[in-house]
Amino acid sequence: MTVATETKPVPLITAENVDKHFGSFHVIKNVSTVFNQGEVTVIIGASGSGKSTFLRMLNRLETHDAGRIVIDGIELNSDMKHIDAVRREVGMVFQSFNLFPHLTVLENVTLAPRRVRKTPKAEAQTQAQALLAKVGLSAHVHKYPHQISGGQQQRVAIARALAMQPKVMLFDEPTSALDPEMIKEVLDVMKDLARSGMTMIVVTHEMGFARDVADRVIFFEHGQILAEAPPGEFFGNTKNERIRAFLGQIAN
Amino acid sequence: MKPALSLLPRSWSREKRSAVAIALAMAGMVLFLWLLAIPLSWMPEPIGPAAELFATGAWITLKLTVISGLAGILIGFVIAMAKLSRIWPVRWFAQFYIWVLRGTPLIVQLYFVCFALPDLIPLQLSDINSAIVALALNVGAYNAEAIRAGIMAVHKGQTEAARSLGLSPWQTFSAVVFPQSFRIALPALVNNFVSLLKDSSLASVIGVVELMTIGSRLKAETFQPAPVLAATAIIYLAMTTIMTQVSNAIERQLDVQNHQ
Repeated sequence: MTVATETKPVPLITAENVDKHFGSFHVIKNVSTVFNQGEVTVIIGASGSGKSTFLRMLNRLETHDAGRIVIDGIELNSDMKHIDAVRREVGMVFQSFNLFPHLTVLENVTLAPRRVRKTPKAEAQTQAQALLAKVGLSAHVHKYPHQISGGQQQRVAIARALAMQPKVMLFDEPTSALDPEMIKEVLDVMKDLARSGMTMIVVTHEMGFARDVADRVIFFEHGQILAEAPPGEFFGNTKNERIRAFLGQIAN
Repeated sequence: MKPALSLLPRSWSREKRSAVAIALAMAGMVLFLWLLAIPLSWMPEPIGPAAELFATGAWITLKLTVISGLAGILIGFVIAMAKLSRIWPVRWFAQFYIWVLRGTPLIVQLYFVCFALPDLIPLQLSDINSAIVALALNVGAYNAEAIRAGIMAVHKGQTEAARSLGLSPWQTFSAVVFPQSFRIALPALVNNFVSLLKDSSLASVIGVVELMTIGSRLKAETFQPAPVLAATAIIYLAMTTIMTQVSNAIERQLDVQNHQ
């Protein structure tokens, strides 16, 4: 998985001194980091540590008050053209799936390619069928979201984001709303995606996934990056008292 | 009426079944009005001889309701969008419109459109057109609130998902938010439609010859208020029942199929 990083790493997303307040609450404090092409980064941290907010800034579902975020050479600012351009290249998977309930599984996946990329209907459907086969949902293409399980819905959401052929995929606690027996089917799809070389940034509490798949683990605390390291180092060598306590809690 | 929707083939799409159910109900309404004069003519004095009048009155009532109801949905949509606008004068206008139209009696609005408006603008509407305008403006204010509530009820995650896929604000609204909000608002809109059918009786005060006018004239001519008003009430009741059945069918359909 780390083959890409052994050659010269290519930065895809650069965040420099990013800062944000929610009213008087200082949610992100001067965060700087780089996400390289082909790398899988797992972001962990307690609730309220700012990890989801930071992730959502990367496609401007949240704005930043100060600092710079540059994605594939495009700076994210209030320029709508930049925002739309970035959103086409950045796929996002949400905790609560957010499938469109009035559309079938197939229509969920074809909507954005048809509307945004102007892909002809037949072509968009062929691509969508292939993606849905990849996530193991060929049998459900004509169902509505409420007719399939949570794990299946989340896999549709992944296929929907992939249909735009993004350069990077953001996952915001993708398994937190799922029953335990459905978590594995979603993680397996994410592992396959990581192996295919997709750049991924994943906010999660699944430490097994972080150990197996991540190239780097970032630990968020009080709106700051407290530690970042490859998973072997991060999980093996926890000198930091706070991180050790957090990992202990997660393990229980 | 109740099983109309479930009698339709399961293989049809939800939209198709809904549309066919509504079409069937409308056909039922037309048939009801068309044939109304026949059973009424079998009735004893004073109803029997006036059967044709009642049928004509009911027909005008339906015409008032349907035309002003459809126009009212359009007005409601425009005012709802205006109330959600980012431009404050537009928002303020919508707020003012809803405030006035919901805060004043419909009978005052009817008089205003019929008698005061011609003094203010050089436009003389017929009685029935005045009634249609006033009813449409009135129900439009209520529809605006229903449609706005529907739009607000669509989960924020839907907009975020659509925007994160690269859809523009307009594409997000037209393809994702509006279809869902319309389904949420539909039961309230149908309710407003049923209320409108009853409220259209107020058009009698400006001389529109609809069902209520027929009833009150006949009452005055025959000096037999009990049978005449009972007949009038029963015809209204039959018409609202047909409409309520449609609304129930639609609600059931959406309730079963729309939750995530």
